[in-house]
Amino acid sequence: MPVLVFIEFTNGKINESSCQATTLANGQGDEVYGVTTSTDKNYNSTLGLKGFDKIFMINDFKNIECLSKIILDHDIKIIISPGSDLFREISSLISISHKFSIVSNVKKILDHKTAITTVYTGKVESEVNVINEKIIYLINKNIIESDTYDKNTDIIKIESKNLRINYEILEETKIDHDISLSDADIVVSAGRGLKGPENWKMIEDLAKKLHAATACSKPVSDAGWRSHHEHVGQTGLKISPKIYFAIGISGAIQHLAGVNSSKIIIVINNDPDAPFFKSADYGIVGDAFEIIPKILKALN
Amino acid sequence: MPDTTSDIAFTEDNKFDSNNVQFIIGPYEDYALARAVELKELNKEIEISILNIGLSENDSLLRKGLAIGADKAYRINSEPFDSNFVAQNIANFISEHKFDLILMGKESIDYNSGLVHYLTGSILGIQTFNPVSYLDIENNKDIIIKTEVESGINKIKANLPLILGCQEPIAEWKIPNMRGIMGARSKELIVINPTDLKPALEYIKHDIPSNKKEIKYIDKEDIDLLVDELKLKNL
Ligand SMILES: Cc1cc2nc3c(=O)[nH]c(=O)nc-3n(C[C@H](O)[C@H](O)[C@H](O)COP(=O)(O)OP(=O)(O)OC[C@H]3O[C@@H](n4cnc5c(N)ncnc54)[C@H](O)[C@@H]3O)c2cc1C
Repeated sequence: MPVLVFIEFTNGKINESSCQATTLANGQGDEVYGVTTSTDKNYNSTLGLKGFDKIFMINDFKNIECLSKIILDHDIKIIISPGSDLFREISSLISISHKFSIVSNVKKILDHKTAITTVYTGKVESEVNVINEKIIYLINKNIIESDTYDKNTDIIKIESKNLRINYEILEETKIDHDISLSDADIVVSAGRGLKGPENWKMIEDLAKKLHAATACSKPVSDAGWRSHHEHVGQTGLKISPKIYFAIGISGAIQHLAGVNSSKIIIVINNDPDAPFFKSADYGIVGDAFEIIPKILKALN
Repeated sequence: MPDTTSDIAFTEDNKFDSNNVQFIIGPYEDYALARAVELKELNKEIEISILNIGLSENDSLLRKGLAIGADKAYRINSEPFDSNFVAQNIANFISEHKFDLILMGKESIDYNSGLVHYLTGSILGIQTFNPVSYLDIENNKDIIIKTEVESGINKIKANLPLILGCQEPIAEWKIPNMRGIMGARSKELIVINPTDLKPALEYIKHDIPSNKKEIKYIDKEDIDLLVDELKLKNL
């Protein structure tokens, strides 16, 4: 039975979350098919290394006719996909038009019809059984190590007309992140303990040095010290990097909800009783203004 | 939704344990309501209805929504089994009542699926945007929004009907005042029967993994140690 994977690209390459989806798909099906909007045929034909037997090149995920054709022609029953907003939207369209059930926030797929999902913003892990035969699994970030494969990939191009959109884009603001916060391996995050926006230079320096993304707590973005996209937590972005630096952040439960699936948490806080230390792997008690320059020096 | 500070627990028969848990309007839905009320303050012709799929214990939260400024409340009398169930019920409700602008939260804070707006939009064929951090109405008909896309943020002009999944900084949360609370008593709260539909997902068991970690303190005079530790772990 073939399993279908939606491929997400970051800077012209298949991203890690899609690779992990592919590895999971290889565990569930005898063949794995990918769908991409990348037009780079040469690159796409190398995706056998990531575990794909076939790649379908389409021009827009939102063009549901292309996806319907793939699903019907190949009798697709399982789709595994990164859980981005775009793929949540596409999955919803497929769910309604082809009667798939969607399981989101998947941490582990146990067999075709059961999975472990994270709920209550990561506080709870639930085993869920899908009653339907046709299922879309939307996976969390960084849940397994992706494998490499030695497959030959067929490339199939599906032509379609451009979609008509019934809205007008007035302005596009590009967020110039060298490293996107949700994909970053290392995140340097700071809170109200930094006292003001003028003090973020050392945070940015540290992030640059570590090739990390920057993040912040909610009050920091509410006060306009940092942009809202950097806000992590219950009401912000949920991230699971390999290393999360929490600098001058108290560790409120709503903040932890967005970051507690990070592999290693390093807390820097001048209050030894700050609750964040309870969830930390490494703790440094002291003034951030003294410690960050020291870390920068140690890294040099 | 359970309050964000509550300790989540489940009973032996796998049900959510609501003992000692305070329930709130979900924070994202709270943003949506706050923005709707702000828009109504600018244009008195706007009528706001709020809808919940849940049991009667939610009525006090619906009253709170009325006190914040909604005109009418509806409750579909069922547990909200899963995203599909909720979306089908909302879609049926919308097609009966004909709303122009449907504001939801970006996601729920219990199952965090972020699907109900897209599913509802797919059922009804209504344009859906998520997450939306800015919403305004110009010339009494043009809907101006800002929404996150992969590459950044798009400012968009769209036509009604629309479904939007809201997130901050679309508005600031509102607290009801005394006048609102008094006024809410005489507003309508209408209970509707749910669509007959079986849940698609079955939750077999819930585990609460411990977040307690073994912490290693690093002396601030010995920062090199931290760098060494991370190198040792290949990070
Ligand atoms: C419904 C709801 C949703 C929420 N969602 C979120 C969310 O998504 N994300 C989020 O972050 N918050 C969220 N919050 C807010 C949350 O409850 C906390 O208020 C917030 O996380 C606190 O931010 P902070 O740690 O930056 O600030 P504070 O709590 O003020 O902590 C500052 C910390 O800095 C330390 N400090 C001070 N000076 C220094 C120094 N010189 N060096 C080192 N350390 C120093 C202090 O000891 C303190 O621990 C939410 C709240 C609610 C009610």
